[in-house]
Amino acid sequence: MHSGRLRYGAPLRPAGLEGEAISIESAADLLARTVEALVRRAPSIAADAARELGSIMLALHFGDGTHATLQARHNSLMVTRALAQGPVECFFDDRSLLSLYDLERRPSQILEQGAFDVRGTAEQVLAVWRTFQLLAQRAAGLRSVQALWLAYRRSLGLDVAVGTGGSGPDPGPLGEVPDAAGLLRGTEPGAARSASVATTRVLWDRRAGEGWWTLEGPRDADLFDIMETCRRLAADEILTRIPQRHPVDSLYRLMREYPARGGKGLRPTLCIATCGAFGGHSEDAVRIAAAVEMFHNAFLIHDDIEDESLNRRGKGCLHMEHGIPLAVNAGDGLNLLAVETVLSNIDRLGLARTLALIDEIIRMCRESIEGQAIELGWIRRRHIPRRDADYIHMVTKKTGWYTCRSPCRLGAIAAGHTRPRELDLLGNVFGQVGIAFQIQDDILNLVGEEDLYGKEPLGDLLEGKRTLMLIHLMRSVSRRECRALLGWLGRPRSERTLAESRHVLRRMERSGSIEYARAVAARHAARGARLFEETLGFIPQSEDKAILGQVIHYVNTRLL
Amino acid sequence: MTSGSARPDAAPPGLDVGPFLTGPPGPFPRVPLSDVLERRWLHYAFITTDEQQALIANLATLGAEDGGEPIRTTVLLAYHREHGWACSQWHAYLPREPWTSFRSPGPPTTFPRRPDFELQSLAGTPAVALHLTSTSTPAPAGVSHFHRTHWKRWQAQPGVLAAGRWDDGMVPARETVAVGYHERVHGRWAWPEMGGWVFGFCNQLGDRLDGPPSWAVVFALLQPMDEARDHTAMVMVWRRGRMVFFVPRRALRVSVAGQLARDRVVTTPSLAPLLGTFATAPIPAVLCIDGYQGGDWIQLRFRCRDAARLVVPSETSLQPFSVHEVIGDMEVRLRMNGSSQLFASPGIVEFAGGAAERSWSALR
Repeated sequence: MHSGRLRYGAPLRPAGLEGEAISIESAADLLARTVEALVRRAPSIAADAARELGSIMLALHFGDGTHATLQARHNSLMVTRALAQGPVECFFDDRSLLSLYDLERRPSQILEQGAFDVRGTAEQVLAVWRTFQLLAQRAAGLRSVQALWLAYRRSLGLDVAVGTGGSGPDPGPLGEVPDAAGLLRGTEPGAARSASVATTRVLWDRRAGEGWWTLEGPRDADLFDIMETCRRLAADEILTRIPQRHPVDSLYRLMREYPARGGKGLRPTLCIATCGAFGGHSEDAVRIAAAVEMFHNAFLIHDDIEDESLNRRGKGCLHMEHGIPLAVNAGDGLNLLAVETVLSNIDRLGLARTLALIDEIIRMCRESIEGQAIELGWIRRRHIPRRDADYIHMVTKKTGWYTCRSPCRLGAIAAGHTRPRELDLLGNVFGQVGIAFQIQDDILNLVGEEDLYGKEPLGDLLEGKRTLMLIHLMRSVSRRECRALLGWLGRPRSERTLAESRHVLRRMERSGSIEYARAVAARHAARGARLFEETLGFIPQSEDKAILGQVIHYVNTRLL
Repeated sequence: MTSGSARPDAAPPGLDVGPFLTGPPGPFPRVPLSDVLERRWLHYAFITTDEQQALIANLATLGAEDGGEPIRTTVLLAYHREHGWACSQWHAYLPREPWTSFRSPGPPTTFPRRPDFELQSLAGTPAVALHLTSTSTPAPAGVSHFHRTHWKRWQAQPGVLAAGRWDDGMVPARETVAVGYHERVHGRWAWPEMGGWVFGFCNQLGDRLDGPPSWAVVFALLQPMDEARDHTAMVMVWRRGRMVFFVPRRALRVSVAGQLARDRVVTTPSLAPLLGTFATAPIPAVLCIDGYQGGDWIQLRFRCRDAARLVVPSETSLQPFSVHEVIGDMEVRLRMNGSSQLFASPGIVEFAGGAAERSWSALR
């Protein structure tokens, strides 16, 4: 029944809570790092806060003399550690700043004389107030954020209160007996005792109480930890399933290479969380998540050969290190193993669900291959589509299905849900997410950090990939430039230089192509978020559903 | 199972109940069940002395609908520490009336005789054929009344010994000895109005396996959906078979923390998905109770380990209700008459509730 695996979302220790010391330089630094942590670990909180903030540029002044500017940007928040002129200005000293985070304080205590000031129109001030309220209520639940604020408290020399939230009941004449909350505080080894770690809830306090079933609603998940855990679960499953047999050096070691290099863990997270959201056990989805990752890695091996890529996940591509014939063969091996892994679900999920999984896998592979064929055909014919819709159609097939749609649908099937209408609704939501994901992927290839992204810089330009930025550029430039670009793209990759690619990138920046692509990605992610709220009401609220919500916002704020 | 009928919120027909009902009309307990909401339960829960296996059984008689025959349901839920849970459907085979100390009052008997508690899933396993022995005095009966015409009466008894054949279908059948808890319940309630409860027990084994436990603890917290004045809580402590400490609700505090990982919760029986079972609130990871009486006090800390979500068809709607049977480790500290005690033993806690909070129609 229980395999003894760790459940996702639970095992990782956030940095700073144990061992690693966090140093906060100033109040502005604290705010900036809080927002950075949110964008990385709980992007849906940042997206919701951005929605409240709207177009307001908020100038922040702190009691320690530091300043920062907070603004919304593409469904997310951005902090600049410098002051800009904004329509709304806020002043926090340390008392009010810490009270902002400490929900135990009443508003009247927060607004002490000289501790807080705000200037702006009433409407804008209220929008800022809602933004901070949302951040205070939802970000306080994240342990990585707690660690930052705990470190700041310590840097100020303040005692760290350990409370259960609220004034609590009269303890009564208990004498030497500690209360139940005291017992509970000692129950979680290594639990952080930060000011707002208030997981203890009182069911009955001698006078009144509330049912245990009303206590814990769905909470915001730390997506960063969850994706890492899901990635590891799937990678472990893959490495377990690759047989220990000959030929090792020519096949099985090569098949292990890409899965062992890591990745984001997006597909396993979608697969496992969807299974949980539909009432299934996350363990039931690990094997199918591993199968999807195997297909993905096989696609990557073949894709790298087709695109003549050099690097993958921070190292040389498989064909660069071992030659094209062995790489093609290893990709074939992974495809075969993936099929075998899908079939192996029979003993865990039964025949009916496994047949449904196979059906979905066939659809996923067909869509991906067709999408890849469309793009390779464009490159072969030296064609660049003029309409965004052509690009959207291509990436929906090439990436959308196997990166977002199918992992979700497979997770639902693993939980026993095969109703076409519900699967289609789920697919519609994550189809939008898949588009946003691929556009962001293309953007990162141009302007992302190479260490994080893991591929050679400007690789897409060198490969002549038809990205949204390129399509926008071709629409924006003069006919003369257009002809020059087509000529450059028509040359073999070996004849296109990095310097030329940098020139094209600069032209894209001048034409606003990258900003345009960012906006399109944000629009698709926002559409996905709206559909998520409007059409997936049939999925009960749960932690797993909250994770799916986080993923929608992750796709266009991710850095890798 | 009955389902889909209008819920009889009023008192049983023809009965002048006055302002509240606190129990069945007529000579208790041999009074016919008045309607579909009234029920009698015999509840059994045991943990083997090697702490590897446990069982929970519930034998229910439910009032008939429209003057028909009462409905009986029998569920046997088995647990193995390594292999998890196995469960019968709601109609496990019960060859004869089971043992209950409440039907056969008298001094404890320990001499061996034929099994008097036999229960078997129609699938073959899980199945038990046990001889049960009472070693401890029963607790005083508890009463909770709520929603004017709804009430629940119960009486618990810890330290019940079980010896005999135990086949959970997960490991080979064996002869074993277990110690546990027995309870009878008589009540009339609908699940949404019932709110929820937390019941639990532990037995600290003594030197001899055929005698009463050194210590035993039973606790209950009932929280109907009505006002807090209707909430009931109690903790009781037994010392070598005699109840020695009772903490009433005004001297108790109950708290929970964390969540039991969802993968530690198994939904049973296997037909449960057919009922359109929806998600429930996460089960707490830790339950703590502290209470006092004068200078005496008690602290309980229960760490949940594994749970079975036993789905119960509702008598009044198509939406099922869930009772979570949770296995875990209990630590008990208590101070009585100036001396302190500390012991730890496995325990079973039942978390039930949330029927009124969630429904598919509300979520749509």
